[in-house]
Amino acid sequence: MSYSWHRDYFGFVARMVPGTTTILFTLMSLLPFHVPSFGSIAPSFALMAVFHWTVYRPDLLPLGVVFLAGLLLDLLNGTPYVGLSALVLLLVRTGVLSQRRVFSRRPFSVLWLGFLGVAIGAFVFEWAFVSLMQVHFMVPRSFVFQTLVTAACFPIGSYVLALAHRAMPALSA
Amino acid sequence: MRVSAPVRATVQRLTLPILIFISALLAVLGKADVLLFDRVRVLLADTLAPVLQVAGEPIASVSNAIGVVEDVVTVYRQNQELEIENQRLLQWQQVARRLESENEELRNLVRFAPQGAVSSVAAQVIADSGGAFLRNVLVDVGRRDGVARGQPAMTGDGLVGRVIELGDRTARILLLTDINSHIPVVVEGTHERAMLDGDNSDQPRLVYVQPKTPVKPGDRIVTSGSGGVFPPGLPVGVVASVKGMIRVELYADLARLEMVRIVNYGLDGVLPETAIPGSRAARARTDPAR
Repeated sequence: MSYSWHRDYFGFVARMVPGTTTILFTLMSLLPFHVPSFGSIAPSFALMAVFHWTVYRPDLLPLGVVFLAGLLLDLLNGTPYVGLSALVLLLVRTGVLSQRRVFSRRPFSVLWLGFLGVAIGAFVFEWAFVSLMQVHFMVPRSFVFQTLVTAACFPIGSYVLALAHRAMPALSA
Repeated sequence: MRVSAPVRATVQRLTLPILIFISALLAVLGKADVLLFDRVRVLLADTLAPVLQVAGEPIASVSNAIGVVEDVVTVYRQNQELEIENQRLLQWQQVARRLESENEELRNLVRFAPQGAVSSVAAQVIADSGGAFLRNVLVDVGRRDGVARGQPAMTGDGLVGRVIELGDRTARILLLTDINSHIPVVVEGTHERAMLDGDNSDQPRLVYVQPKTPVKPGDRIVTSGSGGVFPPGLPVGVVASVKGMIRVELYADLARLEMVRIVNYGLDGVLPETAIPGSRAARARTDPAR
């Protein structure tokens, strides 16, 4: 997948696509899916969006949007630690950006494996942070499940984002 | 606006560290000014409630459709179970009728004024917490529906949690399983008071139980009414295991919450925001010079 020839011809609407989809994905993880216990292991769609766009179009996903998405998630999910998701997403963006070459023009499986690593890192960080702040060894079970569910849902999220990505040239016409 | 290239480069280089610093600071110090965050949060939840409701519609219809298929598959087995249950309930009905008349006689004797529910409102879950370390839900009723902080949320089976945050049209329910949930309860039959502490697992722990209390699996746990937030006697769950830590299996199925009932018992034991030490409201009240 190479979009480089379109790089600088995207119009305003098309340039908004990565940011908008990231915010939409963030809201998606809050919806009640009516699957038993889903709330506590819901995949982090925001993580998928930030990962996807950082690999493919980091120039169109400004840091401010990443920060806002994390803040929105924290404010809406009722966590006592407003800012934690923002911190995690910013760190993920920084980390992935530095390793971007590893993912470019590689098969999807490499990308998926990379995402699994990122998800593990993100959830271990969250788990350690919450355990530390609560001064209580949090049961790691739901963190493990959330990591697995998030990684397992990545192909779906990535597919949807790729559709949006492909629609970008049409949107700028 | 034209900005010289070096200035722009500096700003760009500094954005990331600054944003990371802000979020880390917020996450660590967020608890210091809970009220400010609460206000922003409530405002945001109120504003986005219609969006979440509309976005949840297709998911609700899909899960309804799945529910219909499941129902058809299980209808035979359910029917048998229901017949057995019906038999049992009829027996209980007899018992209840007898107790009711007995109760009425006794009440007449002591002129007892029942402390029942004043009113209740049904609420739909519009957002899950979506986090591995959070156990709360957002529902679509709020201050304009007469909901107040501290009120218990129930299903038909038992207690679910209580209202911790309130907007005009949304309320956040802290579930009994959340690590920050601590409910005064009593082991039915022993009159032994204890606390039900969530730890984010499915079965909350029963703590501060007197060592000599004979708690055994199957014992019913109900609210004690201590503290004046909940009325006494709301069904909570049954003791599931007593090995090491006493764990309670809740009556309400928190894993599949779709509707809850928020009940107003006319109790005002919950602390007003001004009574929280260090909160802005308290500071403003105790220090009029500011």
